[in-house]
Amino acid sequence: MPFINEILQFKSLSIVGLEKNTGKTVCLNYVLSQLKNSNKQIAITSIGIDGENKDQVTHTHKPEIEVYEGMLFVTPETLYKKRKLVAEILEVSSQNTALGKLITARAKTEGKVIVSGPTTNKSLTAFIKKMQFFGADLTIIDGALSRKSIGSPAVTEAMILTTGASLSSSLSQLVFKTTYTYNLINIETVQKELATKLLDVETGVWSISDENKLIDLEINSVLLIDKLKEKLFTFGTRIFVSGAVTDSFFEFLKNQHQISEIEIIVRDFTKIFVSPEVYYSFLKKGGKIKVVQKTKLIAVCVNPISPDGYNLNSEELIKALEQKIAVPIYDVKNL
Amino acid sequence: MQLKKALTQLNGLQFMIENLDLKSAMGKRFLVETPWFVSKKVIETELNLIEKTLENLETKSAFISKIQTRLSQLRDISGSIKNIGNKLILDDIQLFEVKHFAMVVQEIIKLQKEHQLQLIEISGLEEVVKILDPDKTNIPSFYIYDSYSEELSIIRKELKIHKSKKFISEEEGNKELDLLFLQSEKLESTIREQLCNQLVKYHKNLEKAFESVAHLDVIIAKAIQAKQLGLSKPSIAKGLTIYKKMFNPQIKEHLQLQQKEYQSIDIQLYKSLCFITGANMAGKTVLLKTVALCQYLFQFGFYIPAENAEICLVDKLLLLVGDLQSEENGLSSFASEMLKVNEMVAEVLKNDNVFVLIDELARTTNPIEGKAIVNAVATIFNENNVRSLITTHYSGLNAQCRKLRVKGLLDSISTKNINAKNVNDFIDYSLVEDNVGDAPQEALRICELLGIHEEIVNKAQIELKK
Repeated sequence: MPFINEILQFKSLSIVGLEKNTGKTVCLNYVLSQLKNSNKQIAITSIGIDGENKDQVTHTHKPEIEVYEGMLFVTPETLYKKRKLVAEILEVSSQNTALGKLITARAKTEGKVIVSGPTTNKSLTAFIKKMQFFGADLTIIDGALSRKSIGSPAVTEAMILTTGASLSSSLSQLVFKTTYTYNLINIETVQKELATKLLDVETGVWSISDENKLIDLEINSVLLIDKLKEKLFTFGTRIFVSGAVTDSFFEFLKNQHQISEIEIIVRDFTKIFVSPEVYYSFLKKGGKIKVVQKTKLIAVCVNPISPDGYNLNSEELIKALEQKIAVPIYDVKNL
Repeated sequence: MQLKKALTQLNGLQFMIENLDLKSAMGKRFLVETPWFVSKKVIETELNLIEKTLENLETKSAFISKIQTRLSQLRDISGSIKNIGNKLILDDIQLFEVKHFAMVVQEIIKLQKEHQLQLIEISGLEEVVKILDPDKTNIPSFYIYDSYSEELSIIRKELKIHKSKKFISEEEGNKELDLLFLQSEKLESTIREQLCNQLVKYHKNLEKAFESVAHLDVIIAKAIQAKQLGLSKPSIAKGLTIYKKMFNPQIKEHLQLQQKEYQSIDIQLYKSLCFITGANMAGKTVLLKTVALCQYLFQFGFYIPAENAEICLVDKLLLLVGDLQSEENGLSSFASEMLKVNEMVAEVLKNDNVFVLIDELARTTNPIEGKAIVNAVATIFNENNVRSLITTHYSGLNAQCRKLRVKGLLDSISTKNINAKNVNDFIDYSLVEDNVGDAPQEALRICELLGIHEEIVNKAQIELKK
């Protein structure tokens, strides 16, 4: 029974797939089946997708999850009505999502349900607290690394990452890409005092003084950095970007003469949409990056089979990953 | 007229509403749908409810905050209540909301009993709770409970053990599972229908309770506001409206932030026309708006921003303030104003008990014709004994009309110490009866104080001497 005991030390866990068909659902269902007999109260939901209409949301690949008796789950009205189990409604939220009000319920029989929850980091954090109020020892979030969702799985204390042949059919590419994400997850955090301050900052680009004072640079997004270059370093080289950072931004940074003094702070690793090549070269030139929120990676699960039939050698793959990644690696099929 | 509409007419009223600490969405809705009260009894009842709450605000603060916590848990279930009335079937989510609502209402009733303080009478919903809580768990959660039907509980038991049973094939197993689930869903629908049929009987109770708790939210918020802003309970007068130390809460708060003091005002208003005259910056408009605010607050059942208030009930309040220029319909400020005045005069001739307030009547046209229009309207109001207030700075007003003048700039002040920032400190805002009716000629003096270009002031003075 790998990693189950470790999971139980945390109050919240996200399970995140690097790509579709990397075995996230298999992994999730494995975790749930193992927790079934643990006497712990488990709650589950996934990060909701906001701002899209109904059809698009229902067509996104939200898998049905096998929920067992006694478990808590959260899902919007529309999906709640499609559940294939008996459940007791505990709460109906006042806030609305694209799919209706969020329902918190307790399964009365075992069965399948599609879950979808809060969309923003703030509401995800509040949600985890609320589940604790309803008695949950562990809240599991079915997460995604997608630019579409504002909510980040990094708000959970711990994380399991799934990867596999669907990400790349070349073993070395797969290892390279997975290692890159692993490196991002392990980016160092800023000091606690500064982190608390930055958690509340939801928009903009900020300069941070040596005394941890925040100065609004009045740049809405670094996506348009080309036009606002001169503004960026007006107050120093320690910069907090509340939104996503991209290749063009890092390209710009690594070409600056003071690159070795530059420290970029992002909310969490999911905000980094920079290709590994650019990212590593930024570091090589002396650039520093830190995050506000970090999650503990418990394990990496791999699915050596891709949906188009490509098969990697499971043992070889695990061995190759183990050389780069310092957490346990499992094949989902052998869980 | 509902409060909702009045809000668009006077921003001072908006300030008061936004300042209310309402806990529930239904309380907010109840408030903005408050009708314009014209019955003495209704206003007295409302004011007495606020008074009772206010009396207990401090001594029973824990009780009040407990009630407010419950109020904040309430959801607007008016849709579900309507559906029950229309004999429609509610789904589990709606039934949950009805149960949750009924339980919170019961808790509020219980709190009132325990603390021996009934702020408002609420009709009990114990029967609704009984229907939706068959196991008497007293937990505000809901599903179609096993105890509703023995048949259902048997099917559910089978559902639970299904996983551990062995089948010839997986397909066969799934087939049976689907069948069991279908059966249980069918039974659930039948039970849901029965529950809703049982609830129909309590539809009126639910409606009443819904209204009462929304009202309770409003009453508590009004009482807290009365305490915070120093409002007082008005009494209902006949003929003469009297305000002692009336103030404008919004401006008072604004001044307090600047550590300045607000000068409250005494005013008496008969059922007749009254002009308010005074120099520029004397606060005529604020006075008019404050009187309007008080009348609105009174007839929507609020306490009043004054140390003492005796107010006459009116059927309607007709208010005309601000620039009405409308580029959309192509009318000038003057044309829009006159059309509005025309409506007011028509209303006044129809209804004896209205209160008309007009700020700077006919100010946007030339002073000669402007004055003529003011006097013409004044004569009509005077002849018909219309309760009305008109601010103006025209001289030569109809001698028969009552005039109140804002004292204005203190004469003794030397201009040296005054500037645009502190000029307000040197104005006496109190009112005096004025029999002459000449507008005070203080415009140039104020220009000087404001530091307006010397040449303008000098040239204007020469012009005056011509």
